[in-house]
Amino acid sequence: MSAPTGRSLHPGLNLGEEHGDDHLEAETSVFGFWVFMMSDLVTFGMFFAVFATTVPLACCPGPKELFDFGSIAWQTTFLLLSSVTSGMAVLTMKQEHGGRGACTKKLVFWLLLTVLLGCGFLYREVSDFLSMAAAGGPPTRSGYLSALWSLVGLHGLHVTAGIIWCLVIVAGVLVRGVDRRWKLALLRWAVFWHFLDVIWIFIFSFVFLGGLL
Amino acid sequence: MKKSKEFHHYLTGFALAAVLTIIPFALVATVGGARSYIVLVLCAILQVIVHFRFFLHLSFRSQQKEDLQLVLFTGFILFLMIGGTIWVLGDLYTRM
Repeated sequence: MSAPTGRSLHPGLNLGEEHGDDHLEAETSVFGFWVFMMSDLVTFGMFFAVFATTVPLACCPGPKELFDFGSIAWQTTFLLLSSVTSGMAVLTMKQEHGGRGACTKKLVFWLLLTVLLGCGFLYREVSDFLSMAAAGGPPTRSGYLSALWSLVGLHGLHVTAGIIWCLVIVAGVLVRGVDRRWKLALLRWAVFWHFLDVIWIFIFSFVFLGGLL
Repeated sequence: MKKSKEFHHYLTGFALAAVLTIIPFALVATVGGARSYIVLVLCAILQVIVHFRFFLHLSFRSQQKEDLQLVLFTGFILFLMIGGTIWVLGDLYTRM
């Protein structure tokens, strides 16, 4: 456990020396989560592969009829901003919770702002799904639509899980304080949340914008 | 000093990501056409690198070796599986 000082112990923002043993503890915990995240990435990769092998059929409405350009832009904005606010939350924890009894208000503010942006994203996504179904593009219509719904839906499910996870962390931090358990949870959640935005880059680029071209 | 450095790191990442998002959206809204697809792919790859570098703090230097190997190996697996799927099924499609 004698880690050299100042070195990065794991990918992502490190807690740093001032957090003492919490910093060292994070090494295995966050690395393990990266292994999970990578396997999750492979899962998404396979959904992308399935999507890439399907073509919109003439029978049903295609990307131009189904996709709402403005809504996609909004969703992208919400998710990118939430990625930054989640980073601010981790940064606040790193800088202000090295000692004991630091104020958790700022941390909770950034976390709740992230949740709010995440909810904004989900709201637009769900209303897009509903209007797609109304426009004659439910997932049962064609292979292309099935692949589209499951890929975007899987991402939406991840965002939902991320929001719930964040709310659990907020509750834990408020009840128990920013102790090691919640510090490590927050580090892992931040990795998860950033990954959702990375996956969204592929979705908006290849599924939505690529479809509209 | 260290405090503001990390904060600026996030802001730089955000600015770069925002630019790399606006370019493809603007392109699809105005120009369109199949040729824009190259820019779309390029912007996506660049933005993923920006996210890994500035938000997930992954770099080739000052990194534990295993961490980078994990990411690169996953990239390799993804390349094999997605590339293979598209290759095989694309081949079948052209033969139909």
